[in-house]
Amino acid sequence: MFTTRRGLLVGAAILAAAGCTETPAQIITPNADLTAALRTARSLARASESLGYSDIANDHSAHVETIEKILLPNVLPQEDAEGADPSDPAALADAETAGSTEAAESCLATDTDYALLLGEIAACRAAHAAVLA
Amino acid sequence: MTVVDTGLAAEFAAIYAYSEATVHLDGEPRELAESLESEHRDRRDALLDYYDAHGLESTPAEPGYSLERVTEADEVEALLLDVETRVATTWRAGLASDDPDEREICLNMYTDSAKALARWKIAIGQSYADPWPGRPV
Repeated sequence: MFTTRRGLLVGAAILAAAGCTETPAQIITPNADLTAALRTARSLARASESLGYSDIANDHSAHVETIEKILLPNVLPQEDAEGADPSDPAALADAETAGSTEAAESCLATDTDYALLLGEIAACRAAHAAVLA
Repeated sequence: MTVVDTGLAAEFAAIYAYSEATVHLDGEPRELAESLESEHRDRRDALLDYYDAHGLESTPAEPGYSLERVTEADEVEALLLDVETRVATTWRAGLASDDPDEREICLNMYTDSAKALARWKIAIGQSYADPWPGRPV
């Protein structure tokens, strides 16, 4: 079938385009900033809910829902919690502040269109910390 | 007009609104309103320092602003909620700037605005929760 070099190259291109390769197709490159924001949002949602701050948990859940939609099909799977969740409002405020700083740094560093989203998440977490303090 | 110009204009307008309206409040809402007015003045000063540091010329405040006449506490509370929401919305828009310095100062101002908005909502008995502070609805 591929008796010439040109024929071989064309054939390889056709096979690759058809998905007949060993490497799985990667439709979207995972975004490290959004992946980090998702991991933190899930953690903060869990922590705030466990302390009875349902309003705050709902904010984080909205972030989770939005980021998951953007990251499809490369959504970070649910992970077991690393370490202990914040056990009181002061610890939750500290976690919110740390999450805000993380999102703010991503907002300033990114060259993608996600700067606005990351900035919104940073501001929201900072507002939570302010009212918890 | 840059996004920082627009933000500075919003801060000038907020200071004017607070200076006109806070006198009609009492108790804790008044104390918080005075504190928030002071924060707006601090942000204005920080912005003017930003202009100086970058060799830029700022646009001065207007001599006066069109403001609905409010005298009752609930009217003042609603007015200041509108002011804080508009300020947050203005700074939020600056996050899309491609200029790193502009984006950074807009992010800092926006974050402070979101905190102020949440505190004012609590003071007037509203839920402070909002996943997207200042996002136009």
